[in-house]
Amino acid sequence: LTLPLTAALLGTLIAGTILYLLRRGHLYGSQAFWWLLAAALALGLGLWPETVDRLGKALGVAYPPMLLSVLAIFAILVKMLITDIELARKERRLRRLTQKLALLEYELRKDADAAAVGSGAGPQSDRGDARSNRRAG
Amino acid sequence: MPQSSHSPFGRRLRLLPGGRSSRHTLFVIPARDEEASIGALLDQLLPRFGERVLVISDASRDDTAAVARRHGAQVLELPLQLGAWGATQAGLRFARRNGYRQVITLDADGQHEPACIPDLQRAHRELGADIVIGTFPQRLSLARKLAWRWFRLLSGLRVEDLTSGFRCYGSAAIDLLSAPEATLLDFQDVGVLLLARRHGLRVTETPVRMYPRRAGQSRVFASWLTVAGYMLQTTLLCVARIGHFGGRATRSYEAQV
Repeated sequence: LTLPLTAALLGTLIAGTILYLLRRGHLYGSQAFWWLLAAALALGLGLWPETVDRLGKALGVAYPPMLLSVLAIFAILVKMLITDIELARKERRLRRLTQKLALLEYELRKDADAAAVGSGAGPQSDRGDARSNRRAG
Repeated sequence: MPQSSHSPFGRRLRLLPGGRSSRHTLFVIPARDEEASIGALLDQLLPRFGERVLVISDASRDDTAAVARRHGAQVLELPLQLGAWGATQAGLRFARRNGYRQVITLDADGQHEPACIPDLQRAHRELGADIVIGTFPQRLSLARKLAWRWFRLLSGLRVEDLTSGFRCYGSAAIDLLSAPEATLLDFQDVGVLLLARRHGLRVTETPVRMYPRRAGQSRVFASWLTVAGYMLQTTLLCVARIGHFGGRATRSYEAQV
């Protein structure tokens, strides 16, 4: 194996995996866009690894592969940050939803109790009456 | 049960700001696995406040919800554990949804003396405060006193007992703290008070009586690891909020307990 071939194989493998996951619907929305970009970069750098050397020289980096590593780490950090922001948003929604579920469940129960009282011991709509009926029954 | 020196729950004391009666007050009790202690508290509260007592079972693994229902309280059951603040917020959302103008929160473990409720309400009424914290500085251990001093220094909050769960929230506080902005807070203390201050709410405190916990354990001071996590998180919260000042100065209110 030569270096260009190894790079091309690795790049294609990463890009292929991402594209497969996208097609299967395991990635979606803005995540999908981010990973599509990552797949394109992996494929591009795999097919034309000399791009890194050229870019390194242009930016005055003595050892061009380091440039790739630094950029990759930076990209991973940004991605992780975005993931955590998204997680916090999801956590907030989950907590709101949990509270809402409890509130709605309470109202359902109250209505069911009121209905039970209404059909059983005559017309009583007060919550307190519903409760005492439940205790008695 | 020791009685408050004020004729407890007399007609005059039940009047709230704007002449509203305490029919507009909801009593919120967040509880997780408190079946052993919640009954005693409900026995004290329910004869006076009836269906305005709301227990929020924070995904309890025991019969907390059933015990509360049997005693005649209203019960919200959270399907996932949200912590003390998440449960309290569920109570605030309930209050907002049902038009209550005032919320009084008590711990389920029997630490708080229901006879002191009028003291909280009086501080709320007479000072026009949006949040009144019932404090009992004598209960604080040296470690807690140091921790609170640290947070007071960082946050600029002038509150003696930051974590006390014996509080009175007015309608402005109910509106603000039931909003999504307050949902990601993990504890009811510094974060909630900082948020309130940032929105110009007035926070004050009044001394009350408290008892040792009847059963169960403090959630914050459960283990050293929890304490460390709590200290770190709250410190970060204080630091992140530096510069977010505003609101009115807090005043301490001395009730004649």
